[in-house]
Formats: sequence, C-alpha cells, structure tokens
Amino acid sequence: MKVLRLLAVAVVVALLGLLVWDVATSEESKVARAVDEGKVVAAPELVLPYHEGDGTFDLAAHRGKVVVVNFWASWCLGCKKEAKVLNEASRRWRSKGVVFVGVDVNDFRRAASRFLDRHDVGYRIVRDGPGSTLGKWGVTGLPETFFVDRNGRVVPPHVLAAATREQIDAGIRRALRS
Amino acid sequence: MRTLVLALAALALAAPALASEEHPTQGELERELVCPTCHTTLDESDSPVARQMKAYIRRRISEGATKSQIEQELVDDFSPSVLGVPRKRGFDLLAWALPLGGIGVAGLALAYGAWRWSRSREDGETPSQPPSAAAPPLDSELDRRVDEELARFDA
Repeated sequence: MKVLRLLAVAVVVALLGLLVWDVATSEESKVARAVDEGKVVAAPELVLPYHEGDGTFDLAAHRGKVVVVNFWASWCLGCKKEAKVLNEASRRWRSKGVVFVGVDVNDFRRAASRFLDRHDVGYRIVRDGPGSTLGKWGVTGLPETFFVDRNGRVVPPHVLAAATREQIDAGIRRALRS
Repeated sequence: MRTLVLALAALALAAPALASEEHPTQGELERELVCPTCHTTLDESDSPVARQMKAYIRRRISEGATKSQIEQELVDDFSPSVLGVPRKRGFDLLAWALPLGGIGVAGLALAYGAWRWSRSREDGETPSQPPSAAAPPLDSELDRRVDEELARFDA
C-alpha cells in the first residue's frame, strides 16, 4: 500500500514537472507583445527556405539593413488586401536598401505560387509550411508585419492586420532611425 | 482447416483497409487530418486553410489519388503535424509516454503482486511442518499427568 501511495505521489510530481517544463520552454514569444508596448527587442531567428529556387533566407545575414518581415498565407483575406501596398512599398524602398521578406505560413505551395503570380509580388518569399516561426515571433493571426532595424532588433509598430502604406512607411522610417 | 479460417479472417480484415487506401472517402480523411492553424481535425474546423484543405482532398479523390498520396502531399506542403500525431515534446509528450509508462507500471504491479502471492503461499505452507517443531512446550504438571496416564495405559 505504501509503495502504491509513493507511486501515485511520484506520478503527480512528474506531471507537475512536465507542465512547468512545458510552460518554461514554450515557444510562445513575447516579441510581438513587447513591440506593441513600444519596446525594441532582438529579432527572433528567421531561417527558412525560399518559396522558389534553392537557398535559405537568414535574417541574421541581413544585419546592417532594415528588413520588413510580413507573415501571410494565400487563404488569408487581409493578405490579399495588403498585397498591392506591400509590393509597391518594396519597390519604393528598394533603393534605400530596405529588404522585404514574406513568410508564407500554413499554406499550400501551389496556392501560394498562384497568389504571388496574381499579385505580381516582387520581393523574396520564404516558406514555413508548419508555421514553426509563428510562436517565436508571437504571431497570432495573419497578416502581421514586423520591422527589423539595422542592428537586428524589432522596432514598433507591429502591424496586426492588412498593412497600409502609412503604417509601412512609418515602420521603415522608425527602423532606419533606430 | 484452421489455416483456411485464419486466412479468410485476415482477408476480411485487410479488404476494407485496402479499399480505404485505394478509394479514400472525404469523410475519413477529414476525420484523420488536422488543420494546421486551429489544430482540430478538418471535419471540426471551418478555418480558411481547413476549407482549402477540404477542397484539395475533394479534388484529389476525384482524380483517383490514393489515401497515402493525399496524405503525403499535405505533409509536403504543411508538415507531419497534419497527420494528427502528437508532438514529442512538452505536455504532448504525455500522449507517447503514458501508454508506455502505463505498460511499465502495470508490469511492475503484476510482478509485485506475483511476488506477494508467492510469499503468502510460502507462509501458508508452514503448518505442514511437524507440529512439535512449532508448538509451545507443555507445562510440567500436564507433562507429569500425561506420563502417568501413559504408564497406567501400558500396565
């Protein structure tokens, strides 16, 4: 009986330990929340394969440049809405060395290709089929846009819906000043 | 005869599985595959990506794709997580650990029970030894009276 009691206690302790460990090692990032509070925080890792062609995009390799990181998917209505605005902004800011990268998450590759063709997207797109980067960045919905300064830090604003031209320009200017 | 019965039973069990593989239904795939954004099975989800996946499954079934093909194509585009297999980390680890742990604990409990049972049987066998070995000695008065009675009996 004593053995059974000890075993039950051990099981409960083990379950509690597992729960604590899960919470402690949770991938959920506080990046989005911190940026929304006006803080400047280090950008999480972003290493993903390009949607078309070989190679991998690594955010860390773009240190020294402002990077606009846009999370999207072909099935997302807001993404369709902002596609033209983002595309135009990427062309306008290219001469200033600003890099745009679209992270296609939880999406069909072919559907994403059709979306890119339809909207004539001119900046680099990377694929994150499982959505493994969402937690690290604190993305809770699509589309969402982040601005990374030359030092690899995420600066406000963090755009939580279809981005407007004004929001994109404000984000880039803030990142360039940072 | 027994071999024939076994073969027929195996055939009876394998036939539906084979039919499911060759001609999957929309319903069974929606019940087995998981929406990557809401993490519920497709039949329970109405998210945009789930709707897109359902349409894709419908189209691939009409094109004659097998169950494995459709599953593999979805895994290629999303990840193995669409197959509904729990993650092997964090709290989801329980889904893997509990069955194995349960088997281990059950094995230990069985071994412990068997050990206790064998011990109690050994204890139960003790009375089969000669009673004199375990019985307390007679007191001297009683001993004397028994001797007297035995002497009278012999006489």
